[in-house]
Amino acid sequence: MNTKLKVSEISKIYPGCIANDKVSLEFISGKIYALLGENGAGKSTLVKILSGVVKPDQGEVFLNNESIKLNSPLDAKKNNIGMVFQHFNLFETLSVFENLSIDSDKKDEDLRILVNDILKKYNFKIDLDIPVLNLSAGQKQKVEIIRCLIRNPKVLIMDEPTSVLTEQETDDLFISLKQFSKDGILIIYITHKLKEVLSLCDEVAVMRKGKVVSVSNTIDEKIESLANKMVGESLNTIKKKINNFKNSEEILKISNLNFKSDDPYETNLNDLNLSLKKGECLGIAGISGNGQNELFQILSGEIITEGTSIMFRNKEISKLNPRERREYLMAFSPEDRISQAAVPELKIFENVALNNFKSSNFFEKGLVNEKKIKEHAKKILSNFSVNTDNVELKSQFLSGGNLQKLIIGRELITSPELLVCFNPTWGLDVGAINYIHETLIKINEQGKSSILISTDNDELLKLSDRICVIYKGKLSKIIDADSVTAEKLGILMGGGSID
Amino acid sequence: MSFDLNFIGILIGAIMASSVPLILAASGELITERSGVLNLGVEGMMIIGAISGFALMVVTDNLFFAVIGSMFSGLIISLIFGLLTQSLLTNHVATGLALTIFGIGMSAMIGKNFVGIPGKEFPLLFLNLKESIPFLGPIFFGHSIILYFAFGLPFLTNYFLKKTKTGLIIRAVGDSPTSASNQGINVTLVRYSCILYGGAMCGLAGAYLSLIYTPQWIENMTGGRGWIALALVVFATWSPIKVLIGALIFGGITILQLHMQAVGLRIPVQLLSALPYIMTIIVLVVISRDSRKIKLNTPTSLGQIFYKEK
Repeated sequence: MNTKLKVSEISKIYPGCIANDKVSLEFISGKIYALLGENGAGKSTLVKILSGVVKPDQGEVFLNNESIKLNSPLDAKKNNIGMVFQHFNLFETLSVFENLSIDSDKKDEDLRILVNDILKKYNFKIDLDIPVLNLSAGQKQKVEIIRCLIRNPKVLIMDEPTSVLTEQETDDLFISLKQFSKDGILIIYITHKLKEVLSLCDEVAVMRKGKVVSVSNTIDEKIESLANKMVGESLNTIKKKINNFKNSEEILKISNLNFKSDDPYETNLNDLNLSLKKGECLGIAGISGNGQNELFQILSGEIITEGTSIMFRNKEISKLNPRERREYLMAFSPEDRISQAAVPELKIFENVALNNFKSSNFFEKGLVNEKKIKEHAKKILSNFSVNTDNVELKSQFLSGGNLQKLIIGRELITSPELLVCFNPTWGLDVGAINYIHETLIKINEQGKSSILISTDNDELLKLSDRICVIYKGKLSKIIDADSVTAEKLGILMGGGSID
Repeated sequence: MSFDLNFIGILIGAIMASSVPLILAASGELITERSGVLNLGVEGMMIIGAISGFALMVVTDNLFFAVIGSMFSGLIISLIFGLLTQSLLTNHVATGLALTIFGIGMSAMIGKNFVGIPGKEFPLLFLNLKESIPFLGPIFFGHSIILYFAFGLPFLTNYFLKKTKTGLIIRAVGDSPTSASNQGINVTLVRYSCILYGGAMCGLAGAYLSLIYTPQWIENMTGGRGWIALALVVFATWSPIKVLIGALIFGGITILQLHMQAVGLRIPVQLLSALPYIMTIIVLVVISRDSRKIKLNTPTSLGQIFYKEK
């Protein structure tokens, strides 16, 4: 039997923001539906309403033409609506099996048989008796999916499932989702990644500022058309001017960079050499886990290595710590915004003050000069179009895009000569990505240099002047951006070689 | 002083008796903390249990009522903590500290009229076996029913947490209340229950002191045992069996150092008095140094206030 899910005139208002404004949508099993929108468009709120976590102010949900009440997550479960949240709802210290058994009424033995059947059917490989904290993100997501599957769901909602997955894991997930759909489960797929919509889904509903702005078949859509609907204005495609750096002055030269780690989870770096000219952007591509983390930390001074020479503006800086390097006009934007770049529990201006320079006078005689810091923070917020002017706001309440703008702004406001950034647009929506890209291009135009370590090839091709690939801790030869193609990059990233 | 076998047996029996209040209070607090609630009011709940047990014994002349009443009063006072932290979302640490101060003051006030009144003899089980079997007799027999309960409790607690559904739910709530709530678990209810259970066990621990261990009421008679119980839970990395080991070491060294003082060893008294604290911490740190186990046993959400999205 077909499953039909209908939401009708759903509204949810939070203080100061209309999260859902009379949202009406209809879904029928057999198809995979995409719910597309930028961060803050209201997708997550709608999904929380469907899973009973949040109650709507107005509107109704119909399952197979019957109105259903979703007052708690239990109601959603009773109605066979399964949900995989973006942030996993797993108990890290419990075993996989305990995580599954906690909300199942079945006997442990019966449940184990059922789970093993599911593992076999969908070709999942997970050890049921190890604690969840030992699993990779992809495996954790599978645990979440299995938790839904043991309840024979009619509807399966996936909230931004690929934001934590590698490319291989994403492919696997898509295969599974298509299989579920074939087995009669109605799939609603929430994302802001346009490519995924086109490759996975049959129909797409676009949300913007709490409203549904379009519903269409994905065959009729292209990346550009979806992007325009999502952002609401025609995106100007950014193009970078090709520069000639032959005659510019060299700003950074790294020679004999070697790093050996005792930690089995870290990658050793072998004999890295590179140089960078004024106004140039060097892209470093590679599949994550090939030494990017270590390279970034060595560049930023978090790791000091023996025998390495890093010449920056004709000064040997390899022994300087991050703060001293910043004083010397280097700037860093790490990969993990929440744990490495900013402290989420601190207010915006306090996070700004973390980058304190001798010249900034944020602290006088051991006391905090709040007025000065706040002025400085306000300047960053307005110069880098962060979507708030409240410097007292805790940073954890900023969306990913706004937090990244704040971090990049904090780094750039001191006009550094070199910015090193690592996956600067990871997990951001199109609008924020565009803004960050424009900013990165602007600094090159102003004659400042940048190193862009990224796992996003489109981004690298768009922004870099020269590109090299890091593979198993080694750098490939450096290629000019105008002669590089996605295919060449792909070969190098897989450990192959090109001429 | 002769160090014959029977004397050692009696010594071990005494050590067991002195560790009972620690085992009871720590086992109760362990369940509370496993659900993610940090109740620093153990000392306060214990002393309220001690005075209400003793007062009820004097008033009703019935030891059964006294024991049940002490548990009930521990439960009631922990309910105050529950209301504040779970319903009014106050800070766990501050509320717990306030509870201890409140308990000590309250017990002193109630206890004024009970100072100097002699306690009633608490029935001890298998007294004839204690006399007739040398060495093992004084270890295993001639104790109160509460001691036997206390020594079974850590094993029961361990089984409960690891093997039962309710135990699993408590651990899940302690790990991530948000996830638990999203799974349809009533986090507030679970945490309330664990707080009340912890309160009842602390009340019982107090009653053991005032009815059995030193059957009388003395102001401040818990003497910091509540704080030791709290420390035991943490240093035992939330494992009930290690709580038992820690409590025995603490009780053991307390008794031994008293004997050493009596013998007149030329070691400063202050150092001897500090010995139980130092040794307990050292031993527990050494037996719990597996960082993986610590991570798995520690309630991740400990002390965090949980409120549900609306």
